[in-house]
Amino acid sequence: MKENTPLLQVQDLKVYFYTEEKEELRAVDGVSFYLKEGETIALVGESGCGKSVTSLAILRLIDSDGKIQGGKIILRGRDLLSLSEKEMREIRGRDISMIFQEPSSALNPVYTVGDQIMEAIILHQKLPRPQARKAAEEALRLVGIPEARKRLDEYPHELSGGMKQRAMIAMALSCHPKVLIADEPTTSLDVTIQAQILELIAELQHRLNMGVILITHDLGVVAGMAERVVIMYAGKVVEEGSRWDIFHHSFHPYTWGLLHSIPRLDIKQEKLAIIPGAVPDPLNFPSGCRFRNRCPLADELCLTEPQWREIESQHYVYCHHYSQVEVLKTRGFER
Amino acid sequence: MNRETRRILRRLLSNTSAILGFVLLIFFVVVAIFAPLFAPPPPNKDPYIMPIVTWSSNPLPPSPEHPFGVAGKRDIFYGVVWGTRTAFRVGIIVTLISTALGLLVGAVAGYFGKLWDEVLMRITDIFMAIPFLVAAMVLTTILGAGLDKVMIAMTAFSWMYPARLIRGNILQIKEEQFVLAAKALGVSDFSIILRHVLPNTIFPVLIQASMRMGSLVITAAALSFLGVGAPQGYADWGALLNYARNWMLGGQGEALKYWYMTVFPGAAMVLFVLAWNLVGDTLRDAFDPRLRL
Amino acid sequence: MIFYIIRRFLFLPLTLLGISLLVFLMIGLLSPYQRLATFIDSPERLKGADIDKLVEFYGLNDPLIVQYGRWLKNIFQGNLGWSYVGKEPVYDALMRRFPYTLELALFSIFPILFLGINLGVISSVNHNRPLDHGLRIFAVVGWSFPDFVFGLFILMIFYSVLGWFPPGNLSLWAEEVVKSSAFHSFTGMTTIDALFNGRLDIFWDAFLHLLGPVLTLTYVQFAFILRITRSSMLEVLQKDYVRTARAKGLDERVVINKHARRNALIPVATVSGQTIIGLLAGAVIVETIFNRTGIGSFMSLAAQQLDYASIMGGTLFFGLILVLGNLIVDISYAFIDPRVRLE
Repeated sequence: MKENTPLLQVQDLKVYFYTEEKEELRAVDGVSFYLKEGETIALVGESGCGKSVTSLAILRLIDSDGKIQGGKIILRGRDLLSLSEKEMREIRGRDISMIFQEPSSALNPVYTVGDQIMEAIILHQKLPRPQARKAAEEALRLVGIPEARKRLDEYPHELSGGMKQRAMIAMALSCHPKVLIADEPTTSLDVTIQAQILELIAELQHRLNMGVILITHDLGVVAGMAERVVIMYAGKVVEEGSRWDIFHHSFHPYTWGLLHSIPRLDIKQEKLAIIPGAVPDPLNFPSGCRFRNRCPLADELCLTEPQWREIESQHYVYCHHYSQVEVLKTRGFER
Repeated sequence: MNRETRRILRRLLSNTSAILGFVLLIFFVVVAIFAPLFAPPPPNKDPYIMPIVTWSSNPLPPSPEHPFGVAGKRDIFYGVVWGTRTAFRVGIIVTLISTALGLLVGAVAGYFGKLWDEVLMRITDIFMAIPFLVAAMVLTTILGAGLDKVMIAMTAFSWMYPARLIRGNILQIKEEQFVLAAKALGVSDFSIILRHVLPNTIFPVLIQASMRMGSLVITAAALSFLGVGAPQGYADWGALLNYARNWMLGGQGEALKYWYMTVFPGAAMVLFVLAWNLVGDTLRDAFDPRLRL
Repeated sequence: MIFYIIRRFLFLPLTLLGISLLVFLMIGLLSPYQRLATFIDSPERLKGADIDKLVEFYGLNDPLIVQYGRWLKNIFQGNLGWSYVGKEPVYDALMRRFPYTLELALFSIFPILFLGINLGVISSVNHNRPLDHGLRIFAVVGWSFPDFVFGLFILMIFYSVLGWFPPGNLSLWAEEVVKSSAFHSFTGMTTIDALFNGRLDIFWDAFLHLLGPVLTLTYVQFAFILRITRSSMLEVLQKDYVRTARAKGLDERVVINKHARRNALIPVATVSGQTIIGLLAGAVIVETIFNRTGIGSFMSLAAQQLDYASIMGGTLFFGLILVLGNLIVDISYAFIDPRVRLE
């Protein structure tokens, strides 16, 4: 452990959205986690669990129909939520960068790749155009794009999906950020390309000593990259622990379900677990434990909020019945 | 009532401009229906011809007998009231016929595709290459004056818009599973179009039709305004404005004295078109949020 | 890019042929005697002549397809018939009047696009706030205003209340100067010619006379551009690349004016063709109301006096301008959207 104070700390973050009917939609409801320098953590959950909203909240890029209603986002001792919009703009792209799921829609179709990378460099490093162009070329080379100089003058639609995502990464890293948020960076890519991109992120993370927050629904991606894993369900963190803890003795039934719903070759499996039902409607989450209507272990106790417990060192879980999770091994997810 | 219907209804009702549009439209409908009450026509005469009320061709300002004044020897109030009927008649008839025509062309082009589509769409392009007002004006002059000729001319040059819309929608729907399924079951082309495709395209067509209503009525009035549309003395807003035009130009800086000649028929036109535009806008907003303008 | 333009040019004659066929079919609705007018290019030829013989001579009782071929040949020789309204051959009449209409269109298109695009962007950025509602009302009212109603109001205000200028092209004194031999006509557009001749006073006079028609066309037309820009901006603002631009730390102004706007303009470019249609059709009304010479007022006069040769020639001309206008729009479209260039 290099340092004790984390690089980025999210504390009790609450992001609520409001529908046209003025209903409150608690997309992120009291989420906390931290990220140390040079560390990769994964934020895992099904779509709609609030993981993307959390990542956008860190950059304060929530749409106008949503609002950060509480909590703190501390980057090296500064609470980002207390900054002015102008100060926040200096953080974006310089201290914290982000890459998105769909490289083809995340790049502006009417500007060249070079223009879009140079834009950030000129903005944050105050370089004149010729130098910025060199820096952009360097960034493209860094992410392994061949013929970098030529690519600078090409438009996004002239690149393949994988190349686009590389260009996206080059853009995000062009100002050497301390934190990189990667929101499902490989979901839309071919399987072969997925591995390349993940490898690239891992390699650059070591080289630039960045903290990386990897957002994904795919535990397979996590297995190869993250040191710690944060599992989210319905706007809450339900379990947090090291990769080993999560993969080998998870305590939350939801984590357990996620792990056993993917076929694996490395562990002997009795049968595939299928989590019944669907993610609840965010407009009416169940009271108490939000997973209770899908959980085989649920009883009256689950009508009350569970506690956030540290079961082992650095391994937390948010469940009343964590001790019974072993039962699922034999029972599966049938109720 | 499901959530979607509730959302649409709430949208319609909470939207001030929508309410304004519907209220205006209802107002015009009432005026049109009760025209004989508001402005009783002289007995045994065609009520659509504005009766001559004075022998001097000078305009007269509003007075108790002629609340909107007199233009071209005729009572403006009478013309505005009966002109409402003319506007509805022209708008509705042209919209109905051109939509039906467009439906046919669009359905054939979209459903049969290939050569049919290519030929019909090129013809559509050509019809669209002449500005609507110019085309309607030219065809009206060729056919001869008269409101029926105006309607024929406008229909001849407005079927292309629904045709294109329907064709596009059909191309989209053709690929949907339920149409493919029906086809696989051996259902005939005609009944596929009738049973599956049309019901799915009818809303956009209706919305577009309501939005076209305004421009149709404007064009018909423009033709009367230019003196090539409705015959002399016909109760038509454009014809009333035509009387105003000469007094505006020849008034030697005294045009303001004849404000009533422009303001009353002008206001009727603007409000009528506004009503349709607001209603069309609202329908589109409510049914197809993607198209929201 | 070049292929794209070439392809568009290849389609041009086909469309024009189609338009000519359509116009001819309308002519076909006329009686042979009325049709004769579209062939005779000078009234001298009618003097003392036997009309029936002329109808025979021009083969106006032949099958329509034969007549179409003959008519087309005539057109290619620049013979569109004799204009009673213009008292000169239709071709000359159109050529002489076109600069006035073009001038009006040029003076109108800039405020229309400028106001439409900028107000549309402002409206979208203030989505559902009072400013947005206000602009939408302003736009929907403008859109609902028939040009002849708004034109009459403008005429009333400018001419009668403010007394700035009478309708027409120019004041009498300026008209005399322009018609004199000392004044050289380069383009036929008075404002531009006045500048070339170094006559600022005439430029100003011509400009004042343009103001009313331009104002009318602008208010009636800009609403359309505003609506398209607004809805297109609202859509673009939801796009991922706008979020990317914000995530880079760009100022909101740059995000909107650079990243969002350029993309939002793509659909605006596609509908600009409709603005050209609007300006041409609008010219018919506006030129008539404001007593300006141009092909618009020429057409309406010809229609009132049943001058078939002028009407048909004019329609053909309108179609030609429209097709060319759309071609220009499509080419400029390729400049805005790099994706089109590759196709």
